[in-house]
Amino acid sequence: MRCEQVRLRIDAYLTGELSPQDRSIVEEHLRSCDGCRRAAAAARKFIELGQASSIPPVPEGFARRLAVLARQKAGRRVPAGASWDLVVWWRTVSMPMRAGAAAVLVIGLATGVLIGWNTWQASAAPPAQAAAQADPLASYNVDYLTDAPNGSLAQTYLALVSTPAQEGK
Amino acid sequence: MLDVAKGDLGAFDEIVLRHQKLAWGIAYRFVGDAHKAEDIAQEAFLRILDAAPRYKPSAAFTTYLSRIVTRLCLDHAQKKRPLPADSLPAVQDVNPSAAERMAVQDRDRAIRAALDRLPPAQRMAVVLRYFEGLDCRSVASAMETTVKSVERLLARARHTLEPLLADLFRE
Repeated sequence: MRCEQVRLRIDAYLTGELSPQDRSIVEEHLRSCDGCRRAAAAARKFIELGQASSIPPVPEGFARRLAVLARQKAGRRVPAGASWDLVVWWRTVSMPMRAGAAAVLVIGLATGVLIGWNTWQASAAPPAQAAAQADPLASYNVDYLTDAPNGSLAQTYLALVSTPAQEGK
Repeated sequence: MLDVAKGDLGAFDEIVLRHQKLAWGIAYRFVGDAHKAEDIAQEAFLRILDAAPRYKPSAAFTTYLSRIVTRLCLDHAQKKRPLPADSLPAVQDVNPSAAERMAVQDRDRAIRAALDRLPPAQRMAVVLRYFEGLDCRSVASAMETTVKSVERLLARARHTLEPLLADLFRE
C-alpha cells in the first residue's frame, strides 16, 4: 500500500474501524515508513484534542422553548401564563433545582398534615372530659351530696364545684 | 419517531431531551456562535417534527439528526462568514483555577481559529469525526457522501490544521 493510501486510512486505523486485512497492511507499512508513522501520531493527537475539547452546555431552557414551538406549530393550546410543560420542566432543570422543588413540596405537605392533625385533636375531646364539662358533680363523684339539707356545708361545697351556669339554682 | 408521526408531542419532547446535546455540539463547533448554533439546532428539530409522517427508520436516529444539522450548518456557511474566535463565550469549568480557565479558553480559541480556516466541508468532517466522535461511516452518512470522500476531507483538513495547532500538539 502506498503512503497516500495509508494516510487516507490512518484515522480509521487508529479507531479500529478497518477490516483485519486492511489493518495488518497498514501496520506493516507503518513499521517501515517514518513519514506515515509521524502522520499517524499527528492523527492520534487530533483524536485526543477532540476528546479533550469542551464547549458550553446546551442553553438553559432549549428543550422547553422547543416544546412550546412544537405545540404552536401543531396548533395546540399553550396554557395561558405557562410557557412550559411541567414534565419537560422537571426533566430539563438542574438537580439542585429539583431537590429544592421536592423539599418545598414535602415541607408544605408535612406542615398541612401537622396543622390538620392538631385541629382534629382539639375538636375531638375525650368522652370523660366532655362529661365532666357537662356535669362536674359526676366527675368528682360527689353526687351523693345532693341529698344534703339546704345551708349545710355539703351544699356549700357542691355550689363551689358546680359550673357557673348552675350558680343561683 | 413513529409516535411523533402519530401526533404525540410528548414523544417529540423526549427526542429533544435525548439528542439536544448532539445537535447543539455539531452546530456550535461548526459555527462558533451560541445564538446561531441554538437557531440551527432548533431548526433541525422542527424539521424533524415536520418530516415525522414521512420518516422511515433506515438508519440510526443520531445519523438522521446529524445529517439534518450538517445540512443546515453547510447552508449557513454558504450564506455567512464564520465569526472570529474572539466572540466565543467562556466555557464554564467546575472549580478551575484562573490559570486553568485561561488555558482552556486559549486552547478553545486556537481550535476555533484553526477550524475557521477550513473550507466548510472539511470543517464539518473534522467536527463530526474528532469532536463528536462519529466513525467514518457515520460521518459519510451525515454528510451524504462516501467514506473515501470523508477520508480525503479529513486528510486535507489535518494537513491544514497541523501547523496551526502545533503548539497544542506539543503540550
